[in-house]
Amino acid sequence: MFGTHAIPLSLKNEEFSLLIEKEGDLFVYKREAGKEKKEKIILGDEKKVIINPVEPLNQPKELSPYLDIEFERTLTIKHGSSRKIFLKFPLEIGVFLFEKNTFDVLDIFTLTKPKFTLYGDPHNGMICRYWKSDIFSSPPPLEYYHEGIMQLILTNTSEEWEEVSKVIFNAYGMKIYYNDKMVAMKAEMKVMGQSTAETAFFDSPLKKGMKKALELYVAKKIPITTTKFMMREGI
Amino acid sequence: MLNKIIWGNITFLHLLMAVVILLVAGLIAKILSLYIRRILKEKVSKDHLQLIIKIVSFTVYAIAILSAFAVLGLKLTGVLFGGAMAGIILGFASQSIVGNFIAGIFLIIEKPIKIGDQVNIEDMTGFVEDIRIISTSIRTYDGLYVRIPNQTVFTTKMTNYVGNIVRRFDYMVGIRYSDDADKAIAIIKDVIEQHPFALKKPKPLAYVDNLGDNAVNIMVRIWAPVSEWYELKQVMLWKIKATLEQEGIEIAFPQRTLWFANELESKNVDSG
Repeated sequence: MFGTHAIPLSLKNEEFSLLIEKEGDLFVYKREAGKEKKEKIILGDEKKVIINPVEPLNQPKELSPYLDIEFERTLTIKHGSSRKIFLKFPLEIGVFLFEKNTFDVLDIFTLTKPKFTLYGDPHNGMICRYWKSDIFSSPPPLEYYHEGIMQLILTNTSEEWEEVSKVIFNAYGMKIYYNDKMVAMKAEMKVMGQSTAETAFFDSPLKKGMKKALELYVAKKIPITTTKFMMREGI
Repeated sequence: MLNKIIWGNITFLHLLMAVVILLVAGLIAKILSLYIRRILKEKVSKDHLQLIIKIVSFTVYAIAILSAFAVLGLKLTGVLFGGAMAGIILGFASQSIVGNFIAGIFLIIEKPIKIGDQVNIEDMTGFVEDIRIISTSIRTYDGLYVRIPNQTVFTTKMTNYVGNIVRRFDYMVGIRYSDDADKAIAIIKDVIEQHPFALKKPKPLAYVDNLGDNAVNIMVRIWAPVSEWYELKQVMLWKIKATLEQEGIEIAFPQRTLWFANELESKNVDSG
């Protein structure tokens, strides 16, 4: 279902349905996902829509650009070493109207249950989208429209063993790739000390042939100053 | 030529020096204005910026004029005396204005509140509409416009409800003594877990707080993003109550059990 589709369209699976149909001179967009329904009238000449996974920042409300993935089990990493692990991350599905290299967000929805958390203290901290994931040594099986796989290169640049229980990203920098089997992205976490680490995303697919998802901040024309994140309030 | 006397003891050189002092002062005032405009452009409103620039410029010009008078050998005793008297009169007259002005500058620098914040100042609760150099205006929750002098804003106790990014609210939920409190706590925690804006951290709490006269009282503490706090507070209590009742746990109400020392006598009264 992810990819480019012509209008009018009718897509349906067990979990959600998308419909764009003509009503007189207008097009009407209808979406059902779980108990949630959405309907919109489209006034435009766009002939195509793009449906792809997007950064999980929008549901139920755009509250924060940060994603906090807490590990089910904490891990300890040796000083000076670098390891590759796999995590799961939540997905949101974006529907974009597409015409001559311009994109407009028509709808964003999710099949996951959003939850938020605070990173840091109430005065200086930040609200983050919360997600809990186990740590895997190879790409785990996943629910296709619900979650994606993150390959995380974890490097301990400090001079001591460090314990890591979570990773926080500036999700605007996410580079999501997909194919018909999985949604994935690559990221890194450089541990610098007991409570400090830097995180960032790599712009490359996990597997050959994966297609890059349209980034939401590009479609929304949001100016981005940085896509890295410095964790200073604990790791 | 330069020592040629023009008037009294004033030579052409004195006059030239006075003119140069005034010109240099004009230049300094201009540079300071540009500098202030550049550093405060994003920090204060246009009106405040103009006022600050004028005050700085007038101060520079006043110093320059006094210096020019001194160069020209003009006796400033009279001027200073007149100025001092005027200053005293103006000082008394504008005491509160100056106080408010200085408090306004501190408010702009310290930024304890911003436009749009929800605050309580002197029992006035509402949204900050504007922070001006002399006063701050608030739109109360019932839509009244309240103007508060900056000195009051700065010196009295003020609460900024959105000063931090998260905020907590509490409920006391009273269940019957016959109900299972552990089960009730588990249900309440699950209701909290289901809501996206009831934050994971700081951790929400639900615990038996006290054994009341009529109920086992469970304290519920929930943290929310400050932007969602009020809406969440409005919905969560009813969700908790409805879910507890679905699971067979009732909210207790005041009741009294009466024990009689002697068994009550009762008799049947036949209508026939």
